[in-house]
Parts: sequence; C-alpha cells; structure tokens
Amino acid sequence: MAIIKEYFKLAIKNLRNRKLRSWLTIFGIVVGIFLVITLISLSGGIKNSILKQLNSLGGDVILVMPGAIDNPIATFMGGQMLSEEDILTIKKVEGVDVVLPTSQKSQLMRYNNEQKVIFLVSFPWDEGKDFLSTFQGWSLSEGTWPSPGKREILLGSLVAQKDFFGRRIRVGDAATINGRTFRVVGILNSIGSKSDDTSVYLDRPVYQQVTGERDGSALMIMVKAKEGVSPDELAAKIKKALDEVRKRKRGENVSDFSVLTSEKMGNIAGGIVGVIQAAVMLFASISILVGGLGIMNTMFTSVRERTKEIGVLKAVGAKNSAVISIFLIESGILGLIGGAGGVIFGLIVAKLIEGYSRASGSFLLEAYMPASLIIFGLFFSFLIGCLSGYLPARKAAKLRPTDALRGYE
Amino acid sequence: MEKSIIRLQDVWKTYQMDKVEVPAVRGINLEILSQTFVSIMGPSGSGKSTLLNMIGCLDFPTKGKIFLDGQDTSLLSENQLAQTRGKKIGFIFQQFNLLQHLTALENVMIPMVFQGTPEAQRKARALYLLDLVGLNDRVNHLPSELSGGQRQRVAIARAFANDPELVIADEPTGNLDSQSGQKIMDMLVEFHKKEKGTIVVVTHDPVIAKYSEKVFNIIDGQIVQNHKQAENILWQ
Repeated sequence: MAIIKEYFKLAIKNLRNRKLRSWLTIFGIVVGIFLVITLISLSGGIKNSILKQLNSLGGDVILVMPGAIDNPIATFMGGQMLSEEDILTIKKVEGVDVVLPTSQKSQLMRYNNEQKVIFLVSFPWDEGKDFLSTFQGWSLSEGTWPSPGKREILLGSLVAQKDFFGRRIRVGDAATINGRTFRVVGILNSIGSKSDDTSVYLDRPVYQQVTGERDGSALMIMVKAKEGVSPDELAAKIKKALDEVRKRKRGENVSDFSVLTSEKMGNIAGGIVGVIQAAVMLFASISILVGGLGIMNTMFTSVRERTKEIGVLKAVGAKNSAVISIFLIESGILGLIGGAGGVIFGLIVAKLIEGYSRASGSFLLEAYMPASLIIFGLFFSFLIGCLSGYLPARKAAKLRPTDALRGYE
Repeated sequence: MEKSIIRLQDVWKTYQMDKVEVPAVRGINLEILSQTFVSIMGPSGSGKSTLLNMIGCLDFPTKGKIFLDGQDTSLLSENQLAQTRGKKIGFIFQQFNLLQHLTALENVMIPMVFQGTPEAQRKARALYLLDLVGLNDRVNHLPSELSGGQRQRVAIARAFANDPELVIADEPTGNLDSQSGQKIMDMLVEFHKKEKGTIVVVTHDPVIAKYSEKVFNIIDGQIVQNHKQAENILWQ
C-alpha cells in the first residue's frame, strides 16, 4: 500500500509536468460526465414528478382523457376535450361514486402589482370538496372552500407564499386573473407536487367564464368507484358506455378517448420516460467514449515522450507492474478529476434548469440528484480513465529497458 | 577466496538489421571479481555498451550464459531481473538519465521506492549520498538547475542508493569537460573505497584506465588479451 502512495506521488508529478495537456484531457471527460449527470438528473426529475402526480391521484381513481392512449402526448398538446355528454354518460355507469371533470390552463395572475403565470385548475366544488379532501388528502391551511358559482379562488400553498408575488397573500385579499377580480377564500396545505402547489383552484362554471372555454367540456375526468367495485372492471364499463353513446350520437366507431386506472397511467408514463432515458444514455455514452479516447491519446503520447524515463525507471528496479501502476494511476486521475468536474457542472446546470423552470412557472422540473448518481459519476469516470489508460500503460511496461533507454530517436 | 560477481560464458549478442545479422558481441568469456574496479575499453562500435547492458541485466545474450553473483540470469523472469537490477546493480549513464521533473533528492530516492524502503530511511540515505557527492546544498534542485557535472554526481548518488554489489558506468565522463570528468572519476574511486562493491566502467578514454585495477579491451565484439595490441588499435 505504501508503494501505491509513492506511485501516486509520481503520477501526480507527471501530470503536473504537462499541465495544459492534462487539463485539456480532463476537459474532454468533464464534458461527457457533465452531459450524463445533467441528463440523468433531469430525466430522473421528470420521472419523479410524474410519479408524484400519479400518487397524488390516489390508487383507485380512474382517469378518462380525450384522445387515444397510443399517443398521449399529442392528446395533451392537441387541446382535445371531453364533452358534457361524456360526463353525463359516465355518471350513469353503474358502480360510479364520484365524477369530477377538471380542466386547467396557464393564466396570468396579478397581485401586489406583479404578474405571474399560474395554472388555473377547475373542479365542481359541490362534489369536488369532499372527494378531494377525503381521497386526495387536500386540506385547508387557512380560510374555507370556495362556494359554487362565486368568484372565489383557492390557492396552492406556494402561490400564497411571500416569495411568489413578493407579498404573502392572505385570505380575503383580492387578485386579478385574466382581467377579472377574485377574492381569495382559502389557502391549501401542500399537496405534494410542486405544480399542484403553484396552481390556483376555482369552481368549474366560473373557470369556463374566465377562460371562455366551451360549456361543459373537460380536459380530464376523474372517477371514483363505489366501495367494493374494482377499478379495472369499472374502467371497462365506462369505456363500453362511452363507446356506445358516442357511436349512437356522433357516429364514431373508433374510441377517441382513454380510460385509465392509475396503475396503467404509471406504466405508460414509466415507459415514455424509460425511452427518453435510454436515448439520453446513448448520446451521453458516446460523449464519454470520446473523452476516453482523449485520455488514451494523451497517455499514448505520454508513453512515447517518456520512453527514456520508462527505461530509467526499469533500470533502477521498476517492475512491469510498477510501470503499469504509475500509468494507470495517471489516467485514472485524469478520469476522476474530469468526472468530479463533470458531476459538479452537471449538478449546477441541472439546478439552474430547475430554477429556471420554477421561475418561469410554465413547467416544473425538479433536478434529481441522489448521492448514488454522484458516486456513479465519479466511479464511472475513474473506470473510463483506467480502461483507456490500460493499453498505453501496457505498452509502456512492455518496453525493453535497452530500447527504452535509447529512446525514440 | 575471492568471489566472482560477474561471469560470462561464451556470450554472443546478434542484432537483426533488416535482413542482415550483425554480431555485436562474439563469444566473450570474462570474470569480474567482487569489490574490484574494472574498465572495459574499446573504440565506439566495438560492442562494449552491448556487453555492459547484458552485464547490467538490461539485455539478454543471444547465446551463452551470464552469472551474476552465481545466479544464471537467463533463468530469471522479467520481474526478477527488475528486482535484481534494483537491488544489486547501480547504473551511471553517459546521458545522466535523471528524471527531469524530480529534484536531486527525489531522483536519488527513486531506486529505493521500488525496493519498498520506508520513506524516512530513503530520505536519510539519499541525503547522506548527496552529501558524499558534495551536493548537500542542491538537494531540492531540479536537474535542469544543475550543471552537467552536478547532474552526474546526482546520478552517482542514485547508483549507490540501494547499496548495490555492482555499479556499472557507461562512459560516465563522456558528456563532461575534462575537469568535471576528473572529479567524477575521483568520486567513483572514492565511492569504491567507501561503499565497497564492484565498479565496471565502460569507456573509450584510455586515461580512465589508470583508475582501474583491471582493464578488458574489447574490439569487434571480442576481448583482446594482448594489451599492447589493443592500445595500438585504440591509438590509431
């Protein structure tokens, strides 16, 4: 062990001896690891926020959404809606307990002379209040639930906080949304996900007036099954009922909607994120490979330049294993420092993106950075360093002392 | 009874140049006794450096056997050879061959690193040796900050670091002016007396021969027994 420490000292001296080249090589690794860490951190964040969102829906809630399930992103982007008729149809299905149509839209909210983008979310309060507080764990930290039909709003916990509008919002204050004045009647405790906590909630009819959305349409319908009814069976029944009604009234023979249990939602979301993560890893590993080639190149050049030095080391008693060790330690250090730099930059950039997403308010992306990610980054870069240093190190060790001492002339 | 440290038995070394075999050493038999100061002399191209490399376990003979301290070196593995070089042999080169980014002190300590000598002991020994070569005020200088003569003195200190039984010097004064060269030779003789051990110097400079207890003359890869004849060839 003591001897490894000596090799370490020698390796560090060698690296210092060619500072510029060492730093350039390290930079190559920094870029690769930086990409990996940023991308993993952000895609992990996306996954987490989706899972959180799903968890906050509760286990046995069924979601009905417009659009076919094979393309959920297009559905979200395309602005398709469910109709009043759909809502009524679902209400009639046997085994249904609560039907909660909901819509949401980004809107400008004005308070304290500041304007911010918030998510405006609508629920029918008469039915929604009990459902949300009983099954979704919503609770008021201040005030009361809005009364149906009145211009009253309920704030997510973060909206009310001082750093959102520069002043803490109190129950009874007035705020302007889309040119209309509303009274704040209640403030929620944190629901769990950031996007929920930065939303503003109001009654459905009022929402439709404010946003000018078609009467009776909904972006999504949440359905709660009666006690003892299995969500899977109920989902099948709802699908059948909607298909029948739509075919009869509109002549549709393809289901242009999806009925999902939260379990199924989780699988779909997980699949999408998985594909994104795989693509990200592919590109990131290419950049790491390039970084590794950089190390290999530097080390080969170094072996060539130091041929004579290797000869001297061998003459004074260095075994092949000692020469290999010294070179491997050098390349490992290059990898490790590059990895540390990449991890630091990666985490900083991920945090910056998170901060930007928070400030912009239009989307929320929380960087995911567990200790295992950092350790992985460091270990992986060290490994890359050692692997790419192996061939040059072996070349150095294999040199015959007499040839090495003569040097490349 | 006097012990032989080096014994060569019909040693040949042939280099392959393109398709032609060039013999550099041709059937040399030689014995060097322990604790003697020996010179190997010959004109350039006579094969003396090749011979020295083989004696120093840096190279293998194409044919024949070399015994170092009674041990047949052709039976040793690469690692054992490295171990032997580190422990039993010290090298002094014409080009000094110090590690450029290590200080004088670190250069002298290097052979001891590979023997696993503890740091404190390494340092004490290196300082002692550097003091012997008169460089106690230069221990923390890099080779580039030292004169040629001083560099060679560091190299001498390094050669003696592991208390070797054999020190071989290949044209140790070849890159120095005559005054520095003289000093280096005096130092080698001094070391020989103080640290004991065997010293083998390769040179084409007959003046150096006067320091030696025994001189081997080598011409065209063979030892020439007749000293007179060798001198004649050398002085031509």
